[in-house]
Amino acid sequence: MKEFELERGEHVIKQVRKHWFLFLIELLPYAILALLPFSLPALLSFIPAITNYGINIDFSAPIGRALLGIWLLLVWTVAWGAFTKYFLNVWVLTNSRIVDIEQVNFFNREVSSLFLNRVQDVTTTINGIIPSLLDIGDINVQSAGAVNEFHMRGIPIPNRMRDLILKYVPENDGNGT
Amino acid sequence: MTQEPLHLFQSPSELFDGFTTISTASIVSYSLYVVFAIWAIYSAVATYHWLKYSHASSIAFPAIGIHLLVSFALIALALSGNLFL
Repeated sequence: MKEFELERGEHVIKQVRKHWFLFLIELLPYAILALLPFSLPALLSFIPAITNYGINIDFSAPIGRALLGIWLLLVWTVAWGAFTKYFLNVWVLTNSRIVDIEQVNFFNREVSSLFLNRVQDVTTTINGIIPSLLDIGDINVQSAGAVNEFHMRGIPIPNRMRDLILKYVPENDGNGT
Repeated sequence: MTQEPLHLFQSPSELFDGFTTISTASIVSYSLYVVFAIWAIYSAVATYHWLKYSHASSIAFPAIGIHLLVSFALIALALSGNLFL
């Protein structure tokens, strides 16, 4: 791990990313944008004033191909950027802490840790039809000081992740430490 | 006083001949340069993040490879138009 050094005796138990279905939903606007040029003549036919412009759209002409290529290249590149961001956002559970690595934007990366001995409560939420069917949910981890509160949104099988976190939370020694 | 034929003033539009000769094709070609430059910078930045932060994941190189492959296919489409259509 480049973002954080594992301490002596510390090892990674699980890495979790947002559920793939949520990523697919994020990709939907790009898919619509990619299909837009092909459906443009049909869409323009609904507006009588500019119907004739739709007839002139010809992707077999050199300029039409160039414009189509430019458009698809831009959409593809931005969609790939979205995948990059999706992949680089990750939660890491080790045997002593939870690390939240968030790629906010390019060149904007946040890494925060919550040590498991400070964990007081772990709550899971599954809300909605599709999340219930696909077992997608949120985990809220509350720490002792209530300063660090971790939210894991849209992770797969949140109950299993909660159990895994609780398994590694050390027993309270009675002093709140 | 000699009578000389009147000459019209040079019309303002002729002063801008250099601008008026810009064709649609040259606008498209300049657009291609701009888009390719944006693509190259964006791809370089994203690739840098993949290589630096993907923790040597086995997905990093296939992801970069697929991006380049699809991008080159689309660039070929934009330049030649002989692919796909």
